Amino acid sequence: MKRLLLLFLGVATALNSCGVKPRSPVAQRPECVQTYRTSQDYFPEKSQILYAQGFQVEYHKHYKVITVKNPWRDAKQTFQYVLVQCGTPVPAGFEQVQVVEVPVRRVAMLSTTHLGHLESLKLLNTLVGMSDPKLSYSPTVQDYVKRSNIPKIGTNASLNIEKVLDLSPDLITTYGTGDPKNDSHPKLLEAGLKVAINAEYMESTPLGQAEWLKFTALFFNQEKAANQRVSAIAQRYQTIAAIAQQAKQKPTVLTGFSSSGTWYQPGGNSYVARLLKDAGAIYVGANNGDRGSTPMSFEAVYERALNAQVWINGSQTWKQLTDVAKADERYQKIPAFQTGQVFNNNARVNQFGGNDYWQSGVISPDQVLADLVKILHPELLGNHQLVYYRALK
Amino acid sequence: MKNPLKAFVKSQTGLILILIAILLMLSCLSLATGSVSIPLGDVVTVLQGQSPQKPSWSTIILQFRLPKALAAMLAGSALAVSGLQMQTLFQNPLAGPYVLGVSSGASLGVALVVLAADVMGAQRIALTGSGTTVIAALLGAAGVMGCVVIAANYVRNSVTLLVIGLLFGYLTSAVVNLLLYFSVPEQIQTYLIWTFGSFATVTQKQLPLFLGLVLSGLAIAFAQSKSLNLLLLGESQSRTLGLKLSHIRLIIIGNVSILAGTVTAFCGPIAFLGIAVPHLGRSLLHSADHRRLLPVVMLLGAILALIADLISQLPGGQTVLPLNSITALIGTPIVVWVIVRRQSHQ
Repeated sequence: MKRLLLLFLGVATALNSCGVKPRSPVAQRPECVQTYRTSQDYFPEKSQILYAQGFQVEYHKHYKVITVKNPWRDAKQTFQYVLVQCGTPVPAGFEQVQVVEVPVRRVAMLSTTHLGHLESLKLLNTLVGMSDPKLSYSPTVQDYVKRSNIPKIGTNASLNIEKVLDLSPDLITTYGTGDPKNDSHPKLLEAGLKVAINAEYMESTPLGQAEWLKFTALFFNQEKAANQRVSAIAQRYQTIAAIAQQAKQKPTVLTGFSSSGTWYQPGGNSYVARLLKDAGAIYVGANNGDRGSTPMSFEAVYERALNAQVWINGSQTWKQLTDVAKADERYQKIPAFQTGQVFNNNARVNQFGGNDYWQSGVISPDQVLADLVKILHPELLGNHQLVYYRALK
Repeated sequence: MKNPLKAFVKSQTGLILILIAILLMLSCLSLATGSVSIPLGDVVTVLQGQSPQKPSWSTIILQFRLPKALAAMLAGSALAVSGLQMQTLFQNPLAGPYVLGVSSGASLGVALVVLAADVMGAQRIALTGSGTTVIAALLGAAGVMGCVVIAANYVRNSVTLLVIGLLFGYLTSAVVNLLLYFSVPEQIQTYLIWTFGSFATVTQKQLPLFLGLVLSGLAIAFAQSKSLNLLLLGESQSRTLGLKLSHIRLIIIGNVSILAGTVTAFCGPIAFLGIAVPHLGRSLLHSADHRRLLPVVMLLGAILALIADLISQLPGGQTVLPLNSITALIGTPIVVWVIVRRQSHQ
C-alpha cells in the first residue's frame, strides 16, 4: 500500500512539473500591438551594426531578421532569428527559422558575459535563470539574484533542461563551440525552447565585441538605449586610442602563460592584439595572422619574451610576483618579470573565480584600453586608476 | 649463423648497444631541435659550459630542453617498466601502469587541488608545474594504490584484483567528473590541458626528486626480476616453487604506484607507452626473461617517449601538439603490429 502511495505521489509530481505556466494574453500586455496595421513601422528605432562582423540585422515593418554569421570557429552553419513584434502575425517564408516574439519578457542566460548587457540596458528584471549565478561579479546582479532567487541552470554538459523548462523563459542566450555533444543549444532546441547564439567571443575587435550589446537589445526592442551606449563606448575608446598614438615609444608586450607546458598565445588578428595595438604597444605575437590562440612551446615564447618590456594576462591565480615564480622557476628568466613589469587582468575577481574582466569588461573596452594605456604610457593618462588590471608586486 | 650482423642484433648485448646508440642520438636531437633554431655548434658550446652567441640560447638549452629530454627519458622508462610488471603480474597483455587506477588517483589529487578549492570558494592554486600539484598527484596515486594493496591482502585471485583496481579507477573518475561539473570554465580548461600530458612542465628544480623516485622504482624492478620470471609460470606453479605470491604482489603494486604515480604527478597521465613498449621489447628480444627484458624495455620506453616529444614539438614550427595524441598515434601501430605478428607466428 505504502509503495503504491509513493508511486502515486511520484507520478503526481512528475505531471505537475510538466505543466506549462500560463501566458498572459496579448490583450493584457501593453507592449504588444493591439490592432495590427500593415502599413505601420513597429520599430522606429533601428540599430546599425558598425563594428561587429558576426551578426547583421534586417528590419521589416513588424519583424526583424537577425543573422549570426560566425557562431564559432570554422563554423559551416549560420543562424537566423525572426523577431516578430508581439500582437502581429508571423511572416511567411520562415518555417525553418526560429521565430521569437519580442519584446522578450523572461530570459535565461548561459554565460556571465551576457549579463553585462542586461545590466547595461536596465533589463535585469527580465532575468529568470543563469548558468551559474555565483560567478557574476557585479554587486547589482548579485543583489538581484539573491532577492529574486535566480536559480543555477548550468551550461553545456551540465545544463539542467528540466529546470529550464520549468522556468519557461521566452528566450535563452547561449554560446556555441561547434561541438554538438557539448553545446547547449541543440538540447534546448530539441526541448522546443527559443535559443539565441551570442558569438561575441568570435569578434576580433574590442568594439565589435561590445557591439553585441545591440544583439541582446534587439530581443527587447531596446535599440535606442543600445545605440546610445555603444556609440558612447566607441567615442571614449577612440579618444583614448588617439591619446595612446601620441606616445613617443611603443613598448613591446608579452601575453599569456604556460599551462602544463603549453603557452596559448593570442594570434596577431585577435582581440588582444587589437587592444594592444590601440594602446600604443608592439605585441610579440603580432606577426601571426590568427584570430584565435595558438598553442606554443615555452621556449618559442621565451625567445620572444626577451624583447618584451611588459607582460600582461598571466594565470588568473597570480596575485603577486612570488606566485609567478612559484608556478615555474623559468618565468624568472623573463626580463619583464625581472623589472617587475607584470600586470594581470584579475583585479576584479569574486571569491568563486568569476572575473569581471570577462563580464563588464566585455562591454567596457574603453576602460580596458584605458588600463592598458595607463600601464604602457603612464604619463599619458595621469588621472586614470587601473580598473581590471593589477600590477603584480 | 650466416649473417653475423643479424645475430648481433638478436643477441641481448647487441640489442642494448644499438638501443643506447639510438637513445644518445635522439637525446642529442632533442637538445638540438625545437621551436627556436639554435646552430649545432652553439648547442655543443652550451653543453661544454661555455656561453653561446646569444645568452638566451643557454637558458633555452639548459632550462627548457635538457629538463624536458631527461623528463621524457625518465617517464618513458618508468611507464614501460611498470607496464611490463603489470602485464606479468596479471598475465594479461592489455594491462598497463594505469590499470589499477594510479592515474585516476593522481588525477583526483590534482582535481582536488585545482577544482575543489574553487568549489569551496577558497584560494585557488596555480596548476602549471607547481609543487602543490605534484604532491597532490603523488598523494592521490598513493591513496588509490593503498586501497588496492589492502584489497590485495584479501583477494587471492589476480583477475579479481584487476577488476577491483578498475572499479577504483571508475570511482575516482566519478569524483573528478563531479568536481568538473561544479567548476569555473577556466579551471576546467587548466585541468583538461593537464590531462593532455607534457614533459615540458618539469623544471630543473623538480628534476632531482623526479630522478630519485624513478631510479629507486627502477632499482626495485630489477631486484624483483627473478620473482617476475617465476610469475610467468602461472600462479599455482610459482607458489610450488616457493614464491610468496601475496608478498611479491604487494611489492610490485607498490613499485608500480611509485613509478607511474611519479610520472603522472610530474608530466600528467601519459597514455599508451606503458602498454605498447613491453610488447615491442618482447618481440625484439624474442624472450620473456625479465632479467634480459627490463633493460631493453627501459631503453625502448625512453626512446619512444623522446620520439613522441620530438614530434609533439614539431621541430621548426612554433606550435606544440598534445603529447597524449602523439603517444597513442605511435603506440597503436606498434601494438597492432606485434599482435598481428604473433598471430602469424602461431
